[in-house]
Formats: sequence, structure tokens, C-alpha cells
Amino acid sequence: MHLSLNRRHFMGLMGAAATVPMMGRSASAATPFNFQASWINDAEFAGYFLAADKGYYKEAGLELEYLSGGPDVIPESSIIAGKADLTLTTPDTTIKAIVEQGAPFKIIGAQYQKNPIGIVSLAKNPIKQPKDLIGKTLAVPPVNVISVEAMLKISGIDRAQVNIVPYAYDPTPLIKGEIDASVDFTTNVPFTIKQAGEEATSFLLYDFGFTIFNDTVVVTEEVLKAKRKEIVAFLKASRKGWEENLADPAAFPKTFADTWFKGTGRSIENEVYFNTAQKPLIENANGIFSMSEEAIAANIEALAAVGITAKREYFDTTVLEEV
Amino acid sequence: MATETALGASSGTTKSETGFRHWSALRNAAILLALWEVLGRFKLVAGGALPAPTEVLIRLWSDRGDYPLHILATFQGASLGFLIGNGLAILAGILFAVSPVAARLGRGLNVAIFALPPIAISPILVLTFSGMTPRVVLAALGCYFVTMSATVTGISQTDKRMLDVVRAYGGGRLALLCLVEIRSALPAILAGLRVAAPAAVLGSILAEFGGGGRFGLGAYLIGSLGRADPARLWGIGLAATAMALIAYGIFALIEARLTRSTRAVTVAATPPGIRSEGSLVSTIAITLASITLPFIVWWLLLKVLGTPAMIAKTPAGVFDYLFLAPSATSAQTRLLAALGQTLPMTLIGMAAGLAFAFALALASVVRPGIVRSFMPVALVTQTMPLVALTPLLVLLLGRGPSLILWITISVTFFPAFVTLAQGLGMVSRGALDVVRAYGASPFTELRLVSIPASLPYLFAAMRLAVPRALLGVMIAEWLATGTGLGNLLNQSRGYLDYGMIWTVAVVSVLISVLFYQIVIVIERHVLQKRGMQPAA
Repeated sequence: MHLSLNRRHFMGLMGAAATVPMMGRSASAATPFNFQASWINDAEFAGYFLAADKGYYKEAGLELEYLSGGPDVIPESSIIAGKADLTLTTPDTTIKAIVEQGAPFKIIGAQYQKNPIGIVSLAKNPIKQPKDLIGKTLAVPPVNVISVEAMLKISGIDRAQVNIVPYAYDPTPLIKGEIDASVDFTTNVPFTIKQAGEEATSFLLYDFGFTIFNDTVVVTEEVLKAKRKEIVAFLKASRKGWEENLADPAAFPKTFADTWFKGTGRSIENEVYFNTAQKPLIENANGIFSMSEEAIAANIEALAAVGITAKREYFDTTVLEEV
Repeated sequence: MATETALGASSGTTKSETGFRHWSALRNAAILLALWEVLGRFKLVAGGALPAPTEVLIRLWSDRGDYPLHILATFQGASLGFLIGNGLAILAGILFAVSPVAARLGRGLNVAIFALPPIAISPILVLTFSGMTPRVVLAALGCYFVTMSATVTGISQTDKRMLDVVRAYGGGRLALLCLVEIRSALPAILAGLRVAAPAAVLGSILAEFGGGGRFGLGAYLIGSLGRADPARLWGIGLAATAMALIAYGIFALIEARLTRSTRAVTVAATPPGIRSEGSLVSTIAITLASITLPFIVWWLLLKVLGTPAMIAKTPAGVFDYLFLAPSATSAQTRLLAALGQTLPMTLIGMAAGLAFAFALALASVVRPGIVRSFMPVALVTQTMPLVALTPLLVLLLGRGPSLILWITISVTFFPAFVTLAQGLGMVSRGALDVVRAYGASPFTELRLVSIPASLPYLFAAMRLAVPRALLGVMIAEWLATGTGLGNLLNQSRGYLDYGMIWTVAVVSVLISVLFYQIVIVIERHVLQKRGMQPAA
């Protein structure tokens, strides 16, 4: 069912043709490895872009196929369908799928130790803590409904006291005051709001009891068995890319301007802001992606608040030990 | 020669009058633009959420480097889908027009394809296919039904006297088809293609939202949403509109040239024969097969593609989810609650959309100038992705029933309008000349001739409006109100509740098919009384 009009494959062929004379030099053939990102190309994935540009995946013996995400892309679906080997997810939806549908997922790492998702509002109509939401209108993207319900429950607020409406990722209704707050990445939206001439205020759901990771690294049990070596190689190369990127968050976004970021419609200043803001949420004393026992316990506890009974066995820390 | 004379005489316009009409259409458009500029510049609408045209153009210019790649990608998806979808549609249309049995067998599948809500199947397509394929499929699906039914309409409305001439000279079925039917169906087919063109562009863009591809106007829009920059969003919408407008214009031009030579000068005296339906047993068998066919195709497609059962629910899978699984009761409760919110709005929205389309079609006969200057606005509503307009719409209309109604009208009226306007335009010149000779005003002409004569097209428009109204309501619920089926679908995606995603898609198709059948029953009753054939 493949159509020949596939730009990526076409470009891949062109690239392959260009590298033919070089083939003799590389000792072993690279293994194809498909990575499904959870959003469109922005600073959230800067570490992977850097690792790809610097050839870290190639060095590790991987031929990386990078699949961009977007609002309607359900990352977990890509690995079930076998389109991708590994993906980044929101842990609450992943774990809910394991519990309720017996989905064969394993969480093997976490990009964000602290979930960057928070409640963003305007400084002139500030919402500084969950209980400020009572009687207000809050816009929530569909994938984050569980997170918000959990945060409200943990804070002892009845869901019916908050007017929850859909969020289509455009902050205009917030800036114009049609809604009082929205749920979004706090590493990103405040920049846009400032550009629009308003001052933003925000808090993380994490800081009010919803202590979960985000962009959890997820594979299916089947792929974990079959491609463990490649997964370890991917994590190793990605970690290297992330460490280098976070060493100076302002340095690399501009190098992606004409490649990864081309045509996204976002500015490089926006990406630098994002990259800088996400640094403390990603960095980890045990190495990027690591999941400590305390953090896993905190995830399980937070999810229990919304009736999702996560188990320790859903998390597999042994893969990262091999990195 | 006779046709040309009749045309020249009956249109009754001199060169200078035509010039005046064009001028007045331009003037109206200029007034509209100037008004928009003032509203935008002084931030009079929704606190500046409506950008002025010059702001949009300036933004478009400064973004010009971004556009070529995105436009190219959307063009590839849309044009390939347009070719495949319409090619299949014309072939299927001919088959259905020639073979009544095939038409009755394929009806279930046809209606099901038309009623598929793109917002529900886009994520499923993205999972199952890769690369450009989801865009091509969605664009093709957007074209299929309109062109297929236009082809059937065109062929079934062929002047029976021309067929008699060919038959009298010993022409067989193929000769009838090639010499008469396809030729006389051409204007209808071209009208179908005209509507299909914007649909293909929208289909491709919609799949780009969900596709996660990097290029395409839909992908560009997604990247730009978070920037709170309405001028950029309008710029992207304009680019999509321009693409659709060019395609629309090309087919409108071809159609205008061809329609002239195929109009009958006189009225057929004999009513078209009523099709015999065969024995009761064969009727029941065909009806059952027609209902079963979509389910078989659905099941077969999933088997052939080998999509994992967790994502891809077969008919049995959906039945299990809704009636047998432990979570069935909860699923039923949520579904019924959503239906309670969505169904009433769908009926109201459908009625409003049809009323608007009918008024517009009548106006296009009585006051063509006004309608001509409204057409660009109408086209923008068809190609401007609604997600780009959401902030403006919620700021203007809030997040209640009025927003749902407006979105539903805007999604519903356009295909209905084109069908109705075409019906009014195809009215026999001879019949019009009779009332004109008695000095009838344009309104009397409409009342006595045009409206009764275009009844088959009114029903065809109603059938087009049914599934679109449901889609419009679901889009509004998904983007803004957070109620009903649209929200249930959206939330199910967030919960990875694949069973519910499929259930909503199936239930929305079933509802559309049910409404469609109701229209058919009324249509048969009314048209048979008047000795008319249904259009399509």
C-alpha cells in the first residue's frame, strides 16, 4: 500500500545515491530504527536533532528514521502499528492503556523528570494555584484531560467547579480573555504571550501533587526483546545529543533553522526560550532519561489519585543500566 | 445554430449590461474589503482577533520563504487524491447509471463512504498508511461521493428523445452511453468536479493535521497555531483558498463552455419511465447485500492491511466493545449522552444550512451580481481550515449552540448551493420562454417553472447536506464547545480508547445513512407524484 510519492523515501534514496562512494569505508551496515516523536519539530526534541546532525546514531550503528508528531498523532499507536520502534508518550495515557486494555508497553526512560505541563494564565488575571481555578474557564487539550483531572482531585477540587473547554493550541482566546487559563507546556507558551504584549504566569501540575514524568520513552515488549541492542544504542546516542544541547541551550537551535525547523512557522528565539526553560526539567544527576525509584513511586502515587493503578513492573530501568 | 440563437435571445443581456454586472460585482467586493480593512485595523472585531487584509498580506509576504514547500506538498496530496477519487467516482457513476442492480448493491457502500467523518478516520488512516497515502486517501474520499452522484444525476437526466434517436438507428447500450449519456452528463460531472476541487484540498490538509508530516499547509498551520498570530493563520487559509479557487475556476470555465451546447431547446413531452424494481425476493436480497457490503469491505480492509486488533476494530470488535465487554455499560452511557447533545443540533443545523443554500441559489437567479461578489467569501468558508478560525469564532460567538449552528451552516451550504444552482440553471429554456412570453417577473418564473423543475436537485442537495451537517456539528464540538460526539471522539483519542474512536465513527455513519434513507423515501413519494426522476 506504499505510494511512490513519499518525499522522505525519495530524499532517502537521493541521499543513499550520494553516499554510494562512501559505503566502502563504513565497516558495518546500519540497522534501520524508527523513532516517533510526540509533537511537531521544536526544541522539545533538540537533543535528538543534534545527535542526528552530529552522526551519533550512525556511529552507534543506527539508520534513524525520525517521524514528527502533532496534535492528532497518538504516539502509542505508532508503536502498536509497528510504524515506529520507540516513542515518547505522556505516561498517564500509556499506563491507562496498559491497565485497561492490556497494551504491551514498557516505560524504559523519561525525558522530562518533571512534566513541563502546567496551567498558564495572564499576569493581570493570575491563576497561581489549583484552587484559583474554581469558577474559571480552563482550556485543556484532549491528551491532557487525565492529567488535569488528577491535579484537581489531588488538590481537592470538584471537576464540576471548573469549566473545562477544548484547547486547540492557539493562545489567542487566552490573550483576549475569552478563557481564563489553558493547559500547555510552560516552557513554550509564556514566550508567545509575551510576544503578543501580555505577561504570563504559570505553575506546573507537578508542583501541585501530580508528580509524573513526561515524554516517557516507551517501547512494546516485543520490540524490547527483538531490538534491545538498538534501543540501548539509541538511548546512548540521544543522551549524548541532549547533554551537548543542554550545555548551552542558546547554541544549537539556530543550527536547525534550515533543516529540522524549516517551515514550522516558529521563530528561533522561541526555540531558544523553550530550550532554556526545559533544561532544569530534563537534567538528571544519574544521566538523562534515568528513572529513580523515588520518582517511579511518585508517578504511581499520583496516578492512583485518578484511579489508575500503575505497577512498578510497567517501568523497566534495566535498559538504561546498559547505556 | 438553433441552440446558440435560443441562448442569445433568452439571456437577453447586451454587452454593456454584462460589463455593468461585472463592474458591480467588483465594486461590491471592493466595499467588502474596505470594510474588513477598517474592522481589522481598528481592532473592532473580537478585540483584534480579525486581522485586516493588509496585515494578512504583509504577513504573507514576510513568510513567503515558508510557503513553496508547504503548497507543493498539499498540492501533491490533493491533486493525486482528486485524480484517483474522481476517476473512480466517474467510473462508478457510469456503472451505477447503466446497471440499476449495481446501483442498489453499491448504495450502502456509497452512503457509508460519504458519511465517514474525516475527523474520525484521519487518525486511523495515519496509523494504517504512511507517507503521503493518508492525504491522498482523505482527498479522494472527499471527492468521490459528489462526483459519483453528479455522474449518475447527469446520466439519468438525459433527454430520452436523444436516446430514442440512437436506438432507432440501431445503437446498442455502449453507443447510447458514448454518444448521448456521457455527453449530456458532462455539465453535471463538471459541476461535481468543481465542488470536489476544494474538497480535495481540505481533505489533504485535514490528513496533514493528523499525519505528523513536516510539510503541507496543514502541517504549517499546526506549527503556527501556538504563535497567537491570526494574520499568519489567515495567510495560510488564503493560500489554501487560492489553490481551491484556481481548481474551481478551471472547472467552472470548462463547464460554462460546455453547458451551452447541451441544453435542450424544447421540453420532452413524455415523462421518463419508472424503473421496475423486480420481484420482492430479489429486492430484499439486494437490499440486504447492500447493507452488508460496507461491513464486508471494512472487515476485509483491516484483514488485508494487517493492522493490530488493539487499534483496528472489526465490526465484531465494535460490537464486543459496545455490548459484551465489561466496560460496555459505561461506553453505552457515554455514547447516549453524547448523542443527546449532538442529534438535535444536527437537525437544526441541516435545516438552516439548506435554507441558506436555497436562498442563495434563488438569489443567484434573481440577483446574480450579489451572489457573484459573495462567492469568494463562500469559497473562503470552504477552504479556510476551521481550526484557524476557532479563536475568532469563539470570541465572536462564545462556545454555545450559536457557534455550532454557524459552523454547521458553513460546512453544509456550499455543496447544496452548487447542486441547487445547477438545477436552476438546467431548467429547460422552452419552459422559461413560455412564462416569459406572458411577461412573468423573475420571481413568478422561479415559482412556476424553475423551482418545480429543479425539485430533483433540491432532494439531491438535501442528501448531500445530511452527513455534512453531522460533520459540522462534530467539528464545532471538537474545536470549541467540548460537548457531544465530537468531544467524545477527541477525548477517546486522549484516553487511547480505540473502541470508542471506532464506535463514534460507526455510529455517525449509521446516523447519516438513516437520515439519508428518510430523505430518499420522501423524495420517491414527491417525485413519483410529479412523474420526475430522482437526481442520482
